[in-house]
Amino acid sequence: MRINVYGNGLSAWVAAACLAKVGNNVVIDEMAGQHQRALADISGIGDEPGLLTLIQQQITAGRLVRRQRDAHIATTIHWLALQASEKVIAERVVDALSDPEVTGLLVINQCNFAVGATEELQVCLAGSGDVVYVPDNLQEGSSIQGFTQPKRVILGLDNDDALVKARALFRPFTMNLDALQLMSSREAEFTKFAITGMLAIRLGYINELANLADLLKVDISVVQEGMGSDPRVGPHYLSPGCGFGGQNFDAYVSTFSSILQQQREGSLLKTVIDENEQQKELVFRKLWQHYHGDIQGKVVAIWGASFKPGTASIDNAPSLKIIDALISQDVQVQVHDPEAMSNLQQYYPAEPLIRYANTPLEAVNGVDALLLVTEWPEYWSPNYADLLKLMRVPLIVDGRNIFDKTLVQEFGFSYLGVGR
Amino acid sequence: MALASIAAWVELQTHANEFKNAHLKDLFRQDAKRFDTFSFSYDKYLLDLSKQRINQQTLGKLIDLAHQQELPSWIERLFNADKVNDSEQRAALHMALRQPEGASLHHEGKDVVSDVQASLAKMQILVEQIQNAQWRGYDGRPISSVVNIGVGGSSLGPLMVCDALEKYAPADTVALNVYFVSSMDGSELEKLLPKLDPATTLFIVASKTFTTVDTLANANTAREWLLAASQQSIELINQHHFIAATASPSAAENWGVPVSHQLLLWDWVGGRYSLWSVIGMPIALKVGMTQFRELLQGAHQMDEHFRQTPLASNLPVLLGLIGVWNINFLGIHAHAILPYDGRLAQFPAYLEQLEMESNGKSVNRDGQRIAYRTCPVLWGQVGSNAQHAFYQLLHQGTEPVMCDFITPAVRYDGDGDELQKQHQLSLANCLAQSRLLALGDSSMSENDGASKFKHYDGNQPSTTLMLDTLTPETLGGLIALYEHKVFVQSVIWQINPFDQWGVEQGKKVATSLLAQLANGLGDDLDSSTDGLLRHVQRQTRGVDSEN
Repeated sequence: MRINVYGNGLSAWVAAACLAKVGNNVVIDEMAGQHQRALADISGIGDEPGLLTLIQQQITAGRLVRRQRDAHIATTIHWLALQASEKVIAERVVDALSDPEVTGLLVINQCNFAVGATEELQVCLAGSGDVVYVPDNLQEGSSIQGFTQPKRVILGLDNDDALVKARALFRPFTMNLDALQLMSSREAEFTKFAITGMLAIRLGYINELANLADLLKVDISVVQEGMGSDPRVGPHYLSPGCGFGGQNFDAYVSTFSSILQQQREGSLLKTVIDENEQQKELVFRKLWQHYHGDIQGKVVAIWGASFKPGTASIDNAPSLKIIDALISQDVQVQVHDPEAMSNLQQYYPAEPLIRYANTPLEAVNGVDALLLVTEWPEYWSPNYADLLKLMRVPLIVDGRNIFDKTLVQEFGFSYLGVGR
Repeated sequence: MALASIAAWVELQTHANEFKNAHLKDLFRQDAKRFDTFSFSYDKYLLDLSKQRINQQTLGKLIDLAHQQELPSWIERLFNADKVNDSEQRAALHMALRQPEGASLHHEGKDVVSDVQASLAKMQILVEQIQNAQWRGYDGRPISSVVNIGVGGSSLGPLMVCDALEKYAPADTVALNVYFVSSMDGSELEKLLPKLDPATTLFIVASKTFTTVDTLANANTAREWLLAASQQSIELINQHHFIAATASPSAAENWGVPVSHQLLLWDWVGGRYSLWSVIGMPIALKVGMTQFRELLQGAHQMDEHFRQTPLASNLPVLLGLIGVWNINFLGIHAHAILPYDGRLAQFPAYLEQLEMESNGKSVNRDGQRIAYRTCPVLWGQVGSNAQHAFYQLLHQGTEPVMCDFITPAVRYDGDGDELQKQHQLSLANCLAQSRLLALGDSSMSENDGASKFKHYDGNQPSTTLMLDTLTPETLGGLIALYEHKVFVQSVIWQINPFDQWGVEQGKKVATSLLAQLANGLGDDLDSSTDGLLRHVQRQTRGVDSEN
């Protein structure tokens, strides 16, 4: 099949590469005007394991083409993978496709616009075809697998005629699935919103419990196990930590605020999102409280800057909030991350208070505390004796509860976890 | 020279005698272009004096009076940092606070403008830290509420401006809650504190001397609240929850505010002229530093206008002289301030202090008692609300009252239709009221022959002051306009507007009574005070025995 993909974010590139991989002829329209950037410079692509290679393979094989300006594209299948803020662009694309002479187009809308956006795009397209909403379930760090081997696919369509074409498009990825879940586009959009919100609420709740556990002198990891073993609760998304971030989360928040504008009262979700922003600073607050606010001039190590392990992305990452807070207090920061260092350097150009360390151990040299912010595998089992030797003050603030509290304390560290 | 022997004063008295019975309705009838003759505009301000009981001769004679009282040289002395506050041997340099960066003004061999800019720069650093959510309370969370503790000039000015410019709050910074607390009895704190989270509340203690008992009492209560809630040391609480705006750094340090969190002003800034200094920090927090600097800029432009414009078209001069005419020659001793814009709701209270604390004097600069009236009783509120309160007295009472109507010409540009209609409604009322006050029944043809109860005499004079729009800049200019108007009047009356000895003695009496209240009865009290004191003690014992 010939498919045209619109967008220049991670979702667009993942869709384009994966669709090409299964034999489609894909043109990606980056909506970039005259400047087409080198692949490696496009934010997100380099950070995503395996993606750059896959794209290059598909380009070499001739199945994936980057659209040149004004090149004509003749195809009946169009895939919108734009940012949540780019609804106007989506409308422009669909308007251009709409033609009284044309029928039978299939437009896949994978964008996180507001609930009802697909219906609006259908109005733009008029009789030229059908717009089908397919929620973007991209998980940064494992996005290729997420696209090619989905655990579920929801199709939001308002016209049964579109089903045959849409099913054919997804067949290579859904062979092992029992069934596609079919619903109206509006329901599908709201389902996407509801799932993200549900996960956010679970995390917000466990974080609140962890903060209470701090006050009540209870270890949240024990409580967490107890909760998770109840089948009604289950173990997923129950690890407390210093807040969640990522590009997708950002998109979610903006979708959410446009929905919420219609409703004035406070809401559970709004509280969760606000609390999450506060939770991102938790590690900083623990440091502040430990030193009774007297942290000016101290030196602090940060392990992990990406918003989660397995990605170089620092979008909305807790590390940014923590570093902002530290340098505002004139604290020297020595940071290490296996992949996010260059993103971090771009984010903080020429900040004299930040030193970029080549190894985790280099980062802890002479510090008054170690702040563990992202739980990369290489941080889980450090050589504690070396740490003890290098750190000026043996204080560990564990923002992801990855260390064994008793063990660490036996080595002679002061340990502050989340809810323990 | 005694005022009564100044030639222009004598002439004005004669003129007033001839003019006394003139009614505004006749003045308007006689001169179709009265508005053109008696309205004055400068930049974004229009001052309409045509509803004042004057003719061209009146204005000329008032200008003569100003010249004979050497107003131009007094203005120069004011701007040249002379010690115009002679009873305290100080200059009054609030204009230096709004001089642009790079200007200079020498006072006692020092360039005060660079000091001012340094102080503002330090304030800006603290303001930005707070607005960027990087000022941390005792548990490490960012400050979200700021409470200004101050009284008089350390409260009224910043409160008035914050209220007026709220909609200019920057969208890109944290929305801060800014509160004002001043009353000595603690009522405001008692109400406010339960609504605040101590960990995220910062207090600004604003006191020029840092000895003001009202302010220190509130600051002590605030600190006690923080200590109890936080269970932290007093040093930590002082360090992270208090900023001082003061001219007495050592007193502030003794109380506990670290030097790094002190913002300085100087003894040449009068309290009621201090909103332009670091005392204005709540303004910068609420509406942003950029807007605060626009406020200063607007005031600076008005300073330049006042300093450079000939008296006959100088807005502060004209506004001041009209007041003198009304008070000293037409015998009007009440002055109502009537803004037709809810954002200026606090402006009358602000002017009450500015005018009455400055010019409420009866001794001239030579220390002699004077035989003429000075500052009138001044009060007011939002005009459209006052219409349902005290306008009855303005229209049909026995007191002559002069009024200032203040309104922006344009508001709600780009907002909803209904809001714009509300502004039109407000404007219509503003114009209708000043018209009715001036013309009386004659403003309405159908009211001829109405009963006595429905009769309106009219002939109450008023000034209308119209701003193009209300912005940080025009508000700055408006305030400076009144500041200079007060100075103009003080020059005519030969009094010092920059001291306030009348508020000192009460503090001393209260201090001695406080001891007597605690220790039982004192000697040498008048029977009224003695009786009231005894009553309080009886009641207190009664409550104690009930508990």
